[in-house]
Amino acid sequence: MLLNKYKIMKKVININFQGRILPIEEMAYENLKQYIESLRTYFEQEEGKDEIINDIECRVAELCEDRLKKGAVCITEQDIDLIITSIGRPADFEAQDGFEAQSSSGNSNYSSSQNEGQNNWDNIRPKRLYRDEQNKVLGGVCSGIANYFGLEPLLVRILWIFLIGVNILGYLILWIAVPSSSVKEIGGVKKRLFRDIENKVIGGVCAGLSKYFGIKVWIIRILFLIPFIRLVFNFREIHLFQFWDAPDFPNFLDITFSPGSVFIYIVLWLVLPEAKTSADKLEMVGEKVDLNSIKNTIQNDMEGFSKRAQGWGSDLKNKYQTDHASNTKNGASAHPSEKRKGIVYYIGRIITISIKAFVYFILGIIGISLLAALFGIGVAATAVMPLRKFLLEDGAQSWAAFGTIVLFIWVPIVGIVTAIIRKIAGFKKTNVWIRSGFWALWIVGWVMLFYFGSSLGNSFSKHNTPVEQSIALKNANVNYLEVTATPKMKYYEDKWFKVSEFVDYGDEDTIFVRNLRIRIVQSPTDSFQVKVVKLSNGKTVAEANSLANKINFNISQQDSIIYLDKGIGINANDKFRNQHIIMTIAVPIGKRIKISNKGWSQTNISINHVGSLLPLSLLYIDY
Amino acid sequence: MDIQNTQSQMRKGVLEFCILSIIQQGEVYPSDIVEQMKAANLHILEGTLYPLLTRLKNAGLLNYRWVESISGPPRKYFVMTEAGTEAYEVLQKTWNEMATSVGTIITPKANPIVHQADAAQ
Repeated sequence: MLLNKYKIMKKVININFQGRILPIEEMAYENLKQYIESLRTYFEQEEGKDEIINDIECRVAELCEDRLKKGAVCITEQDIDLIITSIGRPADFEAQDGFEAQSSSGNSNYSSSQNEGQNNWDNIRPKRLYRDEQNKVLGGVCSGIANYFGLEPLLVRILWIFLIGVNILGYLILWIAVPSSSVKEIGGVKKRLFRDIENKVIGGVCAGLSKYFGIKVWIIRILFLIPFIRLVFNFREIHLFQFWDAPDFPNFLDITFSPGSVFIYIVLWLVLPEAKTSADKLEMVGEKVDLNSIKNTIQNDMEGFSKRAQGWGSDLKNKYQTDHASNTKNGASAHPSEKRKGIVYYIGRIITISIKAFVYFILGIIGISLLAALFGIGVAATAVMPLRKFLLEDGAQSWAAFGTIVLFIWVPIVGIVTAIIRKIAGFKKTNVWIRSGFWALWIVGWVMLFYFGSSLGNSFSKHNTPVEQSIALKNANVNYLEVTATPKMKYYEDKWFKVSEFVDYGDEDTIFVRNLRIRIVQSPTDSFQVKVVKLSNGKTVAEANSLANKINFNISQQDSIIYLDKGIGINANDKFRNQHIIMTIAVPIGKRIKISNKGWSQTNISINHVGSLLPLSLLYIDY
Repeated sequence: MDIQNTQSQMRKGVLEFCILSIIQQGEVYPSDIVEQMKAANLHILEGTLYPLLTRLKNAGLLNYRWVESISGPPRKYFVMTEAGTEAYEVLQKTWNEMATSVGTIITPKANPIVHQADAAQ
């Protein structure tokens, strides 16, 4: 009694084997599969091998059913072992090659030739190139080659990709030409395409396809995702939402997808039935499919779809007619209700699937865009970190900046990417610790962000008291004045992250910011006038004043050209506190000014208070 | 000399004859063949029987038909074809002749060779 309680429960599965539904222990099923596989190899050269194996399978199924009829709950490993022994293993065939006269009359129902293992024949079979269905990623070509030459499959895959490139055509040829190591899966159930709703992410299409082709599901999901990613990374020149009118139609059904993948996905979603019953599920994983048989099956499925579509059509007609009839007859609405349900169901299904697909499409685009944006921010923020000494105070503020970048930006990126990969790879269990760990770190990131933001805000909180200085021009009476930057020495330019857009490295401890505004007003006199206001922020007014006074900005005139400094020098001790300069140029009536904006992209130029933010390379103004 | 090999050669020779003989008596199910042979103290594995049957069928000696069973899918029953019956008759004739010959040879009788050996001593 007690023993029963502690008996280990073995996992029992239902298989459809030669037209019989058999409850069988998982291990027993594995053994059975292995056995059939060994027969298949043994009879490889035999003329009617499929028939032989089919006969033997039938017999096995029959013997299994006998066991069940005698009251067994399921087929155990022991049962399978006895059945296999009675029918004989390939090793036994070879040892006996026929029948044997029994020396002592056995009382067992099963003959006693268990002495030989089933391994001998394995070694003597001739070496041939097979596609290895057991270790495949796509068609098993690479692992087959690896098997043939006794190499590591991973090595062959890497070599395949790097030496030949992703040679898709060659791969396909080998896929078709090289025979599979297991042409048919046990049982010979016809395989059909279903949507696998148990393993679904959206509609179960990818999971169903992976079952059908026996390919890992993440590969198919990635194939479907590629267009999304491409679409998002092509956004550079596409203004947001403009893409709605501009999907590239010539490429619509490109094999590398483009928006076509969404289209294909929706079609498959509509066409493929869900795997609902256990029979469906068996059929879903049924027999192995070769490239050749794929076409037929898809055709069949499509025919099925057209039939179903016709079905909907006739449903529609029926509904119309019955409605018509009930209008005239004034009642008798009992029997058409079923049909009405049908059509409502189908129409509803189309609508819901379309809406769902649309929503997932938009969510996908938005999600991947956000992720890409976040990633961009992360990269930019990290890249700018070497410049922090010009901006951040040492100590808490710097640490908060680091914390914000790592915890607030990178942690969610890693978390989301991890989650996507887990989802694609089909992990069902979520690891609570990892998940809550990510959330906890991100919350800390928020704290960091707030601290950093307020701390930095505080550093910029006060303005200096502006003082306008007049710059004496050597020759203020010229008719034409050109404003340009001082020709400068070469400076280090880091194009990669485009830091140089607003920052130049002077020396190790100095950067230049081109924080300059030029106002152009009408001069009251008949000569040019230049005035400069130096401005800065700071934690206190005193700090802001001192920073503003430290701004060293040279303006010099040679003939009709005014040279300006390349930027405002900022050293690591003083930090950047939005030091900037407003330069007012008063132009007399009837005279002309030119501002050459080369290298001054950050400069704002306003004319009589009307701002112009365009980065003009040349600007002529006549008064 | 490899006794086992000789044994298996001998068995192999009569195997097809035995199977044809059983089928010749009437339509049978393969596992019945196994049973009948076991009753005659001859053991054959089903795993060896099926390929043999297929071979014989492909050679045109046998045919099969599907017989509905009480439970489960129909079962394959094997019957003789005309060619099979002819072949069986040839084999039976050969067997009878062989049985007589072998019987004559192995029946103990005065052996002159032994006597010579004895005489030499």
